[in-house]
Amino acid sequence: MRLAVTIAILAVAAVVPLFAGEFWITLTTQILIFGLLALSADLILGNAGLFSLCHASFFAVAAYTTAILQVRHGIPTILAAPAGVLAGSLLAMIFAFAVRTRGVYFILITLAFGYIVWGVAYRWASFTGGDNGVTNVPHPAIAGWSITSSTQYYYLVLLVVALCVWGYHTLISSPFGLTIRGIKSSEPRVRSLGIDVSRHLYVAFVLSGVLASIAGVLYVYYNRFINPAAASFPISVEAVLMAIVGGSGSLLGPLIGAGIILGLRNWLAGYVHFYNGILGIVFIATVLWAPKGLMGLIARWRSGDRGEGA
Amino acid sequence: MSPAAIQVENLAKSFGGLHAVAGVSLSIPAGERRVVIGPNGAGKTTLFNCIAGTLQPTSGRVLLFGQDISTLPENRRTALGMGRTFQISNICTDLTVHENLLLAALGNDRRKWLMHRSAHSFPDIQERVARGLQRIGLAARAGELVKFLSYGERRQLELALALSSDPKVLLLDEPCAGLSPSERQSFSRHIGILPRDITLIMIEHDIDIALGLADRVTVLHHGRVILDGTPDQVQKDEQVREVYFGRV
Repeated sequence: MRLAVTIAILAVAAVVPLFAGEFWITLTTQILIFGLLALSADLILGNAGLFSLCHASFFAVAAYTTAILQVRHGIPTILAAPAGVLAGSLLAMIFAFAVRTRGVYFILITLAFGYIVWGVAYRWASFTGGDNGVTNVPHPAIAGWSITSSTQYYYLVLLVVALCVWGYHTLISSPFGLTIRGIKSSEPRVRSLGIDVSRHLYVAFVLSGVLASIAGVLYVYYNRFINPAAASFPISVEAVLMAIVGGSGSLLGPLIGAGIILGLRNWLAGYVHFYNGILGIVFIATVLWAPKGLMGLIARWRSGDRGEGA
Repeated sequence: MSPAAIQVENLAKSFGGLHAVAGVSLSIPAGERRVVIGPNGAGKTTLFNCIAGTLQPTSGRVLLFGQDISTLPENRRTALGMGRTFQISNICTDLTVHENLLLAALGNDRRKWLMHRSAHSFPDIQERVARGLQRIGLAARAGELVKFLSYGERRQLELALALSSDPKVLLLDEPCAGLSPSERQSFSRHIGILPRDITLIMIEHDIDIALGLADRVTVLHHGRVILDGTPDQVQKDEQVREVYFGRV
C-alpha cells in the first residue's frame, strides 16, 4: 500500500512537465521547495512538539550564502550550494540552544532569533544588499551543464526533495526518531529510561535546520534573487502552518499543506486582493475542526471515525 | 561487607520555608524490599524524587552501591542501574505499547543514536521487547496506542518499562494508586513475583499491600524517619498508630 502510494506520487510528479505548461511547472517547483521547508519545521514540531518560528533564518542564510558566493565571487554551484547548506546548518547549531526551553518560551526565543536574522539581512546593506538583496543569481550549473529551463530545474528539485523525504522517513523510523517522538509524548518518562532529552532535541533541531537550508539553496536558484523577505516572520509562520494544514507529524502532510496554501494563493490572487484573509480562514478552520490537518482527516475517514481526531 | 544498594545520608530538601524532607538517613541492603509509608505531606515523594534524581537535594548524599550519585542527572542514574515508575501514570500515550517498550529497551543502549535504520531492525532488542510484553501479559495489544489502554493496563506497562533497563534498584511510586481493589491484588502479585535480586523501594498508601510486600518498612512523618522496622514492628508501634489514626 505504502509502496504503491510512493510510486504513484513519484510517477505523477515525473510526468507533470509533459502535460503542464510553464505556470504549473514553476508552481509545482515552488510547492516542492516550500514543502521541504514545511517538512523541516515539522521535523521538530510534529515529532518533538517544538513550535519553531525561526526556520526562515536557516532558509535565508543558506540562500544568501549561495547567492553571494555565486554572484560576487564567481564560485561555481558545486561549491556554492553546499556552502549555503553548511552556513544555514552552522546557524542552526547556534540557534539549537533554544531547546533548553519549552512551550511558549521556545516559541518566543525562536521568534527573537528569526527577527535578528531578518534585521541583519535588512540593515547590513553593505554585505547583504539591504532591501534590494542579491540579484542576478545565475542558473545552477553542474559539471559544465547549465540548468536553464524550468523543466530541468523542476526535475533537479524533485530529485533533491525526494531524497530529503526519504532521508526524513529513515530518520523518523530510526531509534533516534522513536526517541524524539517519545519525548513529545512524555518527556519525564523518556528521561527516566536513561535518555538524554536535551541532546536528542538539540540534534533534532540541527537536522531540521539542515533540511531548511537545503530548501533555501533550492529556492535561491529557483527565484534567482534573494532579499530580506525570505528571512521574514511570515515565511517562518507559513512553514509551520503548511505543516499543520497538511497534517503535522505525517510524512506527506507538510508537502500537501504547501500545495494547498501555495495553490490557493496563486488561484485566489487572480481574483481577489484579500487572499491572505481567506488563507487565515483556512488556518482557523483547520485548527478548529481538523487539528491533525488533511492527513488526519484522511486517517480518520479510513479508520471509520473512532472520534479521536478533534 | 558489600555496600548498601541505596544509602541515603542526612538528606534534606526544602521548598522555600517548607522542609519537605528534613534530614533522612536510610540504608537499604541489596535485594531488600523496602516500603516507605507515612501520612499525606510526610515527604515520601520528595524523598523518592531525590533518590531518583528528579529533584536535587538541598543537602545530604545519595549513594548507589557505594557510589555518590547525589549530583548525577536522572538519565545517568538509570544507566547505573536505577529504574522508576511515577505516581501519576507517565507513559508515551501517542506511541504503541510495542514502541514504548522498544524505547525503553533502547534507552540504555548506544544504538539509540542510530539514524539510518529502522528502530524495529534489531533482533536482540525485539527479543527483549517480546519478553517484556509476555511479562505483563499485553502481547495481544502490542500494536495498540497506549491512550486506548485501561488504567490498570497502563500501570502494568509502566512496570514493564521500568524493568526493561534491567535495574538493580527499582523505585515504585504508589504503584497501586487509582486501581480498583481487585486490580490492586493482581498488581501487587505482579510486584511480588519480581526477581529477588532487584532491590525494591516503594511508596504505598494501601497499608495491607505495603505490609504484604515489604521486608522492612520506613515510616516518615513531617520529613523525618520516625520508625524503621519489620512490618510486624510497624503494626504494633504506638507512635505509628498515633500518626495514622490520631490519639485515641
